[in-house]
Amino acid sequence: MRKNLQEPFWQALIVLAISYVLLKWGIPYIPPLIGVSSAPVPQSVLVQFMLTVAVGVLVWVSDNEERWRRFKQPIREALVLPERKRVRVALLVLLPLLVGFVTYDTVRPRVDAPAGIRAVHPAPPTQIDFRGEPVRIEGAENPLREEGRIEEARERGFDIYYQSCMPCHGDYLDGQGHFAHGYSPAPLTLRGGSTIAQLTESYVFWRIAKGGPGLPREGNPWNSAMPAWEDFLTEEDIWAVTLFLYEQAGISPRTWEEH
Amino acid sequence: MNVKDLLLERKGWIVALLAVGGMLLLAFPLVAQYSVPEYGDDFPLIGSRAAVWIAAQVHLMFAAFVLGVPMFAVIAEAVSIFGKQDRYDRLAKEFTRLLLVAYSATALWGGLLLFLLTTLYPTLWSYLAEIFGASMWVYAGLFFIESATLYTYYYTWERWKRGRAKLFHWGLGILLNVWGTTVMFIANSWLTYMTSPPADVTPDTAPGMVQFWSAFANATWMPINIHRLIANAVFGGAIVAAYAAYRFLKAKTPEERAHYDWMGYVGNLIAIGVFLVLPFAGYWLGREIYEYNQQMGITMMGGFMSWLWIVQAFLIGVLFLAANYYLWIGLGRIPGGERFAPYTKYMLVVLVLGFIVWATPHSMIATRDELAAMGGTHHPFLGVLGLMSAKNTAVNLMILTTFLSFLMYRRANKIPTVSWARTGTISQGTILAVASIVVLFYGVYGYFVPTIVRIGFSVYQVLIVLFTIVAVLVIDVLIARGADTRGPIRWGQMPERSQYALFVIVVTFTWLMGLMGFARSGIRQHWHIWEVMRDTSPHAATPALGYAAQVISVCVILFLLMIAFVFWIGGLIEKPQLVPQETEDTDAAELGPGYEPSLQPATGD
Amino acid sequence: MSSVDLKIVLVTVITIAAYTLVANIIPQVQSDVPEDIAFGADVTSEELVDAGRSLYEGAGGCLACHTEAGGARGPNLLTGHDGEGAIGERCEDRIADLDCKDYLFRALVDPGAYVVEGYPPIMPPTDRTLTTPQVWAIVAYLESLGGEVTVTGDDLAQAEEETAQPAAAPNGEQAAAPAVATDDAEAILQDLCLMCHQMGDRGTEMGPSFDEVGARLTASEIRTKILHPDQLISEGYEPLAGVMPSNFGSQLTATQLESIVQYLSALR
Repeated sequence: MRKNLQEPFWQALIVLAISYVLLKWGIPYIPPLIGVSSAPVPQSVLVQFMLTVAVGVLVWVSDNEERWRRFKQPIREALVLPERKRVRVALLVLLPLLVGFVTYDTVRPRVDAPAGIRAVHPAPPTQIDFRGEPVRIEGAENPLREEGRIEEARERGFDIYYQSCMPCHGDYLDGQGHFAHGYSPAPLTLRGGSTIAQLTESYVFWRIAKGGPGLPREGNPWNSAMPAWEDFLTEEDIWAVTLFLYEQAGISPRTWEEH
Repeated sequence: MNVKDLLLERKGWIVALLAVGGMLLLAFPLVAQYSVPEYGDDFPLIGSRAAVWIAAQVHLMFAAFVLGVPMFAVIAEAVSIFGKQDRYDRLAKEFTRLLLVAYSATALWGGLLLFLLTTLYPTLWSYLAEIFGASMWVYAGLFFIESATLYTYYYTWERWKRGRAKLFHWGLGILLNVWGTTVMFIANSWLTYMTSPPADVTPDTAPGMVQFWSAFANATWMPINIHRLIANAVFGGAIVAAYAAYRFLKAKTPEERAHYDWMGYVGNLIAIGVFLVLPFAGYWLGREIYEYNQQMGITMMGGFMSWLWIVQAFLIGVLFLAANYYLWIGLGRIPGGERFAPYTKYMLVVLVLGFIVWATPHSMIATRDELAAMGGTHHPFLGVLGLMSAKNTAVNLMILTTFLSFLMYRRANKIPTVSWARTGTISQGTILAVASIVVLFYGVYGYFVPTIVRIGFSVYQVLIVLFTIVAVLVIDVLIARGADTRGPIRWGQMPERSQYALFVIVVTFTWLMGLMGFARSGIRQHWHIWEVMRDTSPHAATPALGYAAQVISVCVILFLLMIAFVFWIGGLIEKPQLVPQETEDTDAAELGPGYEPSLQPATGD
Repeated sequence: MSSVDLKIVLVTVITIAAYTLVANIIPQVQSDVPEDIAFGADVTSEELVDAGRSLYEGAGGCLACHTEAGGARGPNLLTGHDGEGAIGERCEDRIADLDCKDYLFRALVDPGAYVVEGYPPIMPPTDRTLTTPQVWAIVAYLESLGGEVTVTGDDLAQAEEETAQPAAAPNGEQAAAPAVATDDAEAILQDLCLMCHQMGDRGTEMGPSFDEVGARLTASEIRTKILHPDQLISEGYEPLAGVMPSNFGSQLTATQLESIVQYLSALR
């Protein structure tokens, strides 16, 4: 056993096994121990990570002449030596079975919907039609912010948020409202650096005004339950609630460079 | 070997060629009969878009080759003149020979592209011709001059070999590059105009009314020029390395093997070394696109094309791994290389982690249950790796790691004799460590500042990495002065699998070029000329990545098949003289790895 | 082929296949061409007429000439022309073998061929700025003025099909012949510009007068104003922004344009 641990072949297998354990169970369960939320890694990403590790392991075993020879030795022995006949037969039966099982598992009919993709931030239109009025999106600034009516807008946005948005996006803007668990995709968290902090205010305005139905083709497949708020709110209301979101989450909207 | 023997030896190839040719002949009447009823003028079988796409892409690959290799040849010739190393001169000449054949392939594909454009997209072509007509004449005219220069350059090689004539000959090589670059700049203006026409050009503007210079020097022209210039040098190096790898694998004598091992090393070094600068040019280009039109920028980075960059990350990850792999295997043929071997595994860990971070998508592909568990397509923990900060940090660390591999390579067989060698080495290590920490710091700090500030951080990261590379290299060159050697590099004693790594690199570069071509052209979406001329053909929709990948693969295969033909022809014209060197290079240690033809057989497996 | 060649081919093919596979594993998104006018085959005539009205009054720019008051530039389509009633009533009889909607469509796409007697041939072909479905929407609106709307979803579907044919695309190119056949600035001004502008005692008082225009504007400003009328609006004429056609750049040859510019800048 001790001797085997020195062999590149077994070392490689151990590295692969440890990586799998870390990625599969380490990522979802270790960060919560230090108070960071986490979740299981989707299968597609897990496969991608494991492939990368496997390529890395292959590079390691073969970048040195001696190691490469020793790595190949157990494989060769298993395939050639007369006294390893049982191992050989077992491998020749098990490996094809494994491949067959993986193939079956990928193609067998299932009830759950196939994995989907969507563009995170689909490109916004240059201008939108807001209940018959054209509103320019590209390069637009929040007019309320520009006019310095921040305090007033914040209060108005506060009211609107609690009337209309809170049930899904939650008290803490974390996407954990009362209804949140009924939806897939779940309502977006508005906190943190990866959602609205990446976007300009006019982009957020567009998303609120047009909601799920107004997503461009490239945002599909997408079954967002977000309503098109232009039917319920005025233009200024939406600007106000946009401003409120940023103020409340304590982040500033993305700005473009002056040019 | 007489002709008959040659034919007999290659009979497998000849049969294969005849079979392919016969099938093409049989297919021809079928293609001629074929017509798509509803599309009228559409190109048979594959459609007009794919036809133009393939012609343009293969033309560009050849063009990159014939522009990249002269740069390489001129540098090699300069080393031979000023460094008094004869083998670099042979290297330069060997490339120029390949150039002769590749040059006509470039012209053929260019001609095909031109005819396809004029027959399939006449409206677009006449529009462009009306604006750029004059520059098109200059473009064609320059080809005469360029061809003349190329032929003179090659055929006077032996005649003007010594003294002042040699310098003049080298001047010809520089001229060749000047013509090539000018030609490329002109053609770039046409295609960048399609992406970023000047803001005052509208669909109503008659082409005759467009100001020539504002159309010529449009917003993305210079960034594309620079980006392509650098990429061509990279591509030239990679192809040269693949050529050398092929010759190495086919070599029959140890001398040949040593020569081509060394050539592969030089080609790969240039490809990877110049490649490290390419992301910065790409960054500039992306920035110009954002400045020109935000919608276009978002389509490219966040919208419809966002997944393209995940695929790109995958390819570049492969490049980094393959390049380092080649260098690490190479340590085995340098006396003293074994000192560094134990450290490669830590560098490998950095590379693999960098690869993982770089290729982690921002929004993940997941099933319903997985989405429910994550609470959306953003993973609560891994989500942070999807942002630009993490990716910039990862790629900068990967660049530094690759640079470190190269440093180990340089240092392996040297015993420094300068008094301050120890201090120098420590300061090299300190600079590298500090640079890594600074890169990491900005990467993490980037999450706590607004996007606009974070974009600025990537510039700091780039600058510190560039500074580190230059500073550490300068120290290294100084330390190596007058150093004792642990023995010459055993060129040729390279396991065969290292050569296949060079093939992976060249295929990856070629594929990457095709992918970036799709990105550049695809961001226009359904516009021939952005917001000026719409694509009204049935192929106006921009295809999904899967289809694009298939077209790219077809282009890559076509290109590689033809380049293999070029190599084969190049090999027939003249076998390189591999007479053992009469005069051994005097101070090879200072100017590069020494070249010691080894008489021992290479260790292959 | 030797085993080395075979291995090289194998490595190359596997690498290429891997990349193709990766790009195909991710779910595929195609970027479609956005639709300009969202009418299916089942569009109602009300929807068409509404869209047509907004085009007539807005982006189509029709109101610039075809006003209720009638005028020197174009016949009154809205309430009646020459005692014959609005366009919907008389379109059937305008050209012998064309029914109402075909006549209107052709007249919009190739106005030069159907100029009403007594009017100058100045109307630009509408399909240069509008899509074919949009032109059909305008036809529907015009028919609704005193007549029965006969445009249906089928016409639009057919139009879609025709635009899908590349052969039909260069349609407008033949119409790109210059609007006037002379290089003489006086004649061009008389035929085109003085329809809206005044010069001395000639012309119509609508846009700014040309008197002493050379003193007010540089030659390059005049050129810009002709090519891009909306970029530079003279003071006091803001309400009329958008009225002047923006397609003179394609209607005039360069010589014609320059001769007008020179002529006008000389008016000091």
